[in-house]
Order: sequence, then structure tokens, then C-alpha cells
Amino acid sequence: MNTGQIISGAGHLAFIGWALLGGVFRSDPPPFEVVEATTISSEEFAALLARQSAPEAVANVDTPEPPAPGDSAPPLASIPDTPPESTPPPAQETAPPDPAPDVSEITPPAPAEVTDTAPVLETPQEDVAVVVPQVSPRPKPRPAPRVAPEAVAPPEPDVRIDEVAQPEVAPEEGAEVPQEPAEATAQEEAATEIVTEAEESKDTAPTSSLRPKPRPARPVAQAEAPTPTETPAPATTETPRPAAPATDQSAVNDALAAALGTGQQTDTAPSGPPLTSGEKDALRVAVQQCWNVGSLSTEALGTTVVVSVLMGEDGRPDNGSIRMDSFSGGGDAAARQAFEAARRAIIRCGANGFNLPPEKYDQWRDIEMTFNPESMRIK
Amino acid sequence: MMRFMMTLLAALTLWAMPVLAQGNGPLRIEITEGVIEPLPFAVPDFVSDSAAGQELGRNIASVIAADLNGTGLFRQIPSSAHISRITSFESPVQYADWRAINAQALITGAVSTDGAGRIIAKFRIYDVFSGQELGAGQQLVGTQDGWRRIAHKVADQVYSRITGEGGYFDSRVVFVAESGPKDQRAKRLGIMDYDGANVQYLTDSTSIVLAPRFSPTGDRVLYTSYETGFPRIYVLDVANVGRRELPTQDATMSFAPRFAPNGRTVVYSLTQGGNTDLYTMDIGSGASTRLTTAPSIETAPSYSPDGSQIVFESDRSGTPQLYIMSAGGGEARRISFGEGRYGTPVWSPRGDLVAFTKQSKGRFHIGVMRTDGSEERLLTASFLDEGPTWAPNGRVIMFTRETQGEQGQASLYSVDITGRNLKQVPTNTGASDPSWSPLQN
Repeated sequence: MNTGQIISGAGHLAFIGWALLGGVFRSDPPPFEVVEATTISSEEFAALLARQSAPEAVANVDTPEPPAPGDSAPPLASIPDTPPESTPPPAQETAPPDPAPDVSEITPPAPAEVTDTAPVLETPQEDVAVVVPQVSPRPKPRPAPRVAPEAVAPPEPDVRIDEVAQPEVAPEEGAEVPQEPAEATAQEEAATEIVTEAEESKDTAPTSSLRPKPRPARPVAQAEAPTPTETPAPATTETPRPAAPATDQSAVNDALAAALGTGQQTDTAPSGPPLTSGEKDALRVAVQQCWNVGSLSTEALGTTVVVSVLMGEDGRPDNGSIRMDSFSGGGDAAARQAFEAARRAIIRCGANGFNLPPEKYDQWRDIEMTFNPESMRIK
Repeated sequence: MMRFMMTLLAALTLWAMPVLAQGNGPLRIEITEGVIEPLPFAVPDFVSDSAAGQELGRNIASVIAADLNGTGLFRQIPSSAHISRITSFESPVQYADWRAINAQALITGAVSTDGAGRIIAKFRIYDVFSGQELGAGQQLVGTQDGWRRIAHKVADQVYSRITGEGGYFDSRVVFVAESGPKDQRAKRLGIMDYDGANVQYLTDSTSIVLAPRFSPTGDRVLYTSYETGFPRIYVLDVANVGRRELPTQDATMSFAPRFAPNGRTVVYSLTQGGNTDLYTMDIGSGASTRLTTAPSIETAPSYSPDGSQIVFESDRSGTPQLYIMSAGGGEARRISFGEGRYGTPVWSPRGDLVAFTKQSKGRFHIGVMRTDGSEERLLTASFLDEGPTWAPNGRVIMFTRETQGEQGQASLYSVDITGRNLKQVPTNTGASDPSWSPLQN
């Protein structure tokens, strides 16, 4: 045994001894609950068990014997109650009848003074604020002899009905530039749909609602009233027409068309920038104002016609060039009616020239219009 | 990266297609919204060489204008607004003058008499804005006292040429003329032009008459009379007012008759033993065939234009509803499912719609629906509307409207199937139960 082993053995012995004697493996006693107990005697325990056990079943039950067939019912021993004594109420003496009133001295009331004149209502002062009622009926579409895409309020009685609304222009004295006097015109009253008597009298609206929608705005021509210019009024064909505001899509289309090189067109293709969506919308709106389908047959209302027209530089259609390229949805007769209605629309509303940009004439010299009355059938 | 570039290029190409298309062809726009308004027209007096002819020409023009105005599809421009004067039927039309007053259609005509005293009327129709004549001119010949019919026929041609639909002006209406207080009302059959003119009476008012119905050719009328105390069906010849009773069994009640499109068969209701069913009868032989056997009430039958089906009213579901079955009977399919009670169905001459009376929420309506029950639309609303009848072109419905109260009176109204142009038909007395004839020959 060498010295290292001795030292190691001694060290281990010392560690084991420290572990055993030093309390390393001693644990604290676990916590415990203290319950109080009472010592009872065996008699008391037996008495407790006796109270918790089930009660004994009754073995013998006395059942009543059924009555014999010949038995008669026992006499009832109840004694009828004697009615309570009641004393009649003392008769009330009838009051002597009242003597007949003497009406000889009564004079009839004087007749109220009634006049046929209606009371005069006081006219409220103009600057008195009027409280807006909180409850108002829901506005219903009013029947109108004309159905149009946009509702039009009834015009003033002294205003001439025309396709285009414009304010009255009176020559102004002392003006540097003489103005052409123009009569005020307004569009005919129109509703956006046909209102039948049944729909008109239908009362399904709630009893209270928000304020009704404002009446349709007056014709926009008031906002477009011609302003005096320093030069004589130019002819329609020479007047540069204001370009309708272009939409984002049109701007994108313009940029895209430019990027794709629209300049590489053939000699027969139109030149110049294409019409913007706004410009095309303006043309579409102008034509649809005159596209009257009210006198078309049911079949013609189901017929779509494609009509082509050549335009003059002044924006007027060449009436002789209007032709039907194709049709669908109806027979020949219906297509003819539909085409005639379309032709009337182009000629009527193009009589004064459509609002098209002259600088883009090559783009709209040849126009193909598709008249699709599908949405008009369900008005 | 390459794939992304390809996708971007494809999207750019698709996006640019409309622009490229616009650049390579005509400007294309689509019109989907229009207006619905009466079409302005002008009809100057028909020219004539004689003073009597001028008055006749004025009367004819007046009736034409009234016919067209009455449709609600046209609007007459009064003669006071005319710039041009038509002095000769052959003179060229000054389109600019008619455009200036916004006349979109122009009807010119001339009237004269031949050696036999007959009226000869010529007319032309023009599309003013296109500067073209619509179709070829036509000539009509008629008797002196038939000038109104000539005018109606001209109006029918104008209506048909512009709208593409058949006209209905040269037609008649048979109806029940009513007079006296409500509890002692006298009723008799009357017949008149569609516009209320030329009223004649076909029966006296000694017994109650109901529900007259024209034959498909307009020469006969079926109706129900209480002459015997029980309702019985009679067929009356319009020309000579001769009539005969259709044979039916004793102790039965027969009513609600209507001709089949072949004009030889009648469908009607017959009540026997408290049960009402539908029957058909061959007018020539008197042989009848029972079509329904349900314990419910089946009545108000009406044939489809091709005669293959019958629409009728039945309460087999608990409330009166509309049903369609084969003309030979058999299983019926219900077509009305809305709220309320449906009755008096009448099949449109076009075959696409059924007109009916509907009672809902205390009000009566005249309405139309497709033959499968879809697209129901109520056209009127009042205290009492009932008994629709179709114009020959299937575009207009006439019906009875009765006002409320002891002094209430029945009168005839007409309405376009769009619900527009609701108006009263002028009659001298109270009137109910109209039946519209086909166009006269």
C-alpha cells in the first residue's frame, strides 16, 4: 500500500464519516395535521350504528276487506248546514220624480258668429329659423311621363322644354360685346324608373327615417353659363370644346399608348391621341339622352344593334352614313325598329354637333355605337 | 426573374389591348341607358278637294291622333305648332320644318270619295329626322259611316310601323252596361269601339248578365245569364243579336265560359252537388267533357293562345291561386305563390304573360306574371279592380274598377303592361266585365 492509497482511503473515510455524522442525509420531519379524537364506549358506538341502519320492513299490513256485494251504502251522517239568517235590506224610499223643468223661460243660445273668410296666417319673418322636423317620409320615386338615366326635377312653368338646359341670356346694356339673347330652357321632368299605381300606393316605408334625399340638382347649365368674352361669340365648330376630365384609367391608357408607340400606325389608322374615357363618356351621355326606347316593341327592346356613323369635323353625324352593321337578340323586324330608334338618337342629339375634341378628329371620324337596351327592359 | 418579366409583359399586353384596338379601328362606344318618353308626332288634317272632304279629313286626323296619344307611347304636336302646311298629298315633305318642332314622325294623308260614295283614304308615314318615308304609302276604302274604322286602321299601321307591334285600335269591346242603384242594378250587354265610341246594346236589362267573352274571330259572344233563375251560358251572334243557350244538365249552374282558340270549344265552370269543376263543351254537338275532379272550386279558365293549356283559379291549396294544366285535363301546377288571393287569370295573346286579379291587404290589384309564375308585377291598386282582358296585341289590359260606397259605380280602365298610362275608358253608363275583341277584318 503506497502513500497515495492511504491518503485516498483516509480521505474517503473522512468524507463518509462526515456525511453520516454531519447530518447530510438527515431530513426535517414532514408536516402533519393534528386531529382531535374522542374516545367513546362500545355501548355508545352500538347506539350510533343502530341509528344509521335501515328501518325494519313491516311484515304484516292490515288491508281492509272489500265490501260485500249486498251491502248498502252507509248512511251519510253529515248534517246539512242551515242557511245563514239574512235580513233583507230595508227598502229604500224612492225619491219623488223631479218636476219637469220649466223651459219656457230658457232662451236658445245666440248662434256663433261664423264668417266664411279663412283666417289669415301670419307670414313668418324670413330670418326666423325653422326647425327641421325630425321625422319625414322616405322619398319614393315619383311617376313622371319620362324615364331617364338621371332624375330631373319638374322645370319651372315658364321655361321651354329642351334636350339641353340653359339659363336665359338677356342682352346687357353697355356690354362691350353684344350677346345673343337666349331663351331659358330646361329638361323635361323625368324619373329613373316606371312607377306603377301599385308601387305608388305601396306603403312599406318605415314611419320615421332620415331626411329625404335632396331633389335632383337643377340643370347643370346654370354653372356653365356663358361668360362675356372679348371676342364675338365664335361658331360652334370653332369653339374649342373643354375636354372632359380624364380619369386615372384614361391617363394610364394615354401613357401606355404612348409607351407602346401609337405612332407606328398604318396610313389608314387614325392618328393622334385616343379619346379619353371622359370624352367617350360625354359622347355616350349625349347620345343616350336622345335614345328613346319608349315606343319600341318588347322584342325590339331585346335586340342589340351595332350602328356605324361617319362624323364631320364639326361634330355632326353624316346622316346618310348611318347604317346598321349587325344585330342580335331579335328578328329582322325588331332589329329594324331598334335601328331606327338608334338612328333618331344619333341624328337628333348630333344636330348641333357632339362635344368632341377637334384635335382628335381622326379618332372619332368613324364611330361604331352599340345600342344595348337590356337594362331598359326592366325599368 | 425571366418568368416575372414574361408575366409582366403578358399583363401589359392585355392591358394595352383596348388602346391598341381603339387605335386600329373606329371609335367604339356602347349605349346601355336611354330614355322612355312618348314619341312626338304630327298628323296634319288629311287633305281633300271638297269642303265635306276637308271636314272628314280633319275628323280622321283627329281620331288618328287620339289613338296614338292614348297609347302613352306617342305625343301629338298640336297643329298650332306646325310650321309647314300640307296642301298636297304628293308634295315633298319639308323635313327641316318638322325637325324644328321636334316632330319625329309625320303622318300625311288625303281623303276623297268615289262614285259609289265610298271613302278613299291615302296616307304616308315619315321618319322626320332621317328624312325617309317609313314603308310605302297605303290606301284604304270604306263606307261613309265607317270613317272611324278607317282612321283606326291608319293609326294601327302607324303604331305597327313605328313600334314593331301590332295595333289594337280597330277593335271592339263587349261589356256589361250597368245602371241604377247598387242594390237594384240593371245589367245588359253592350258593345263599343275600343275607345268607347259607337255603343250598342245586345240584350235588355230584364235579367242579370255576366262575363261576356268574345270568340277568337269576334263574331260571337259567350255570356252568363240568370234568365232562368240559375246561371246559364248563352252564345250570341254579334251581327244579328241572335242567341241560344248551351245545353247543360238540370240542377246545375254553369258560368265563367271562354272560347278555345279554335272557336268550336268552350271551357266553363259547372257546379253540381256543391262542387265546382271545369268542363269543356263542343258547341256544335253539345258534348261535354269534365277536366277536373277535385273537391275544391275550380273556375275562371282561360286557354293559352295555342290551345294546348288552360290557366284557371282554384282554392285547392286553401286560398284561391292560379294553376295551369293541359287543355285535356290532368295534373295542374300552381304558378302563383305570392301573398294574397289570385283570381280571373287571362292568358296573353302573345302567350308570354298571364294577367290576373289579386287581393292583398284589403286592396285589389291587376297584375301580370310569366306563365311559370315568375316576374309578377302589380300594375294597379284600388278599392276594387278585377276582370282583366287583353288588347289584341298583348300590350294593353282593360279591367273593371269599382268605387267604394253606396254610390260606388263600376267603370272601365286600361293600363299598359308596363304599368304606365292608366286611364279610364269613356262610357255613357257604368260598365264592367270587359272583353276585348281581336282586330277586325
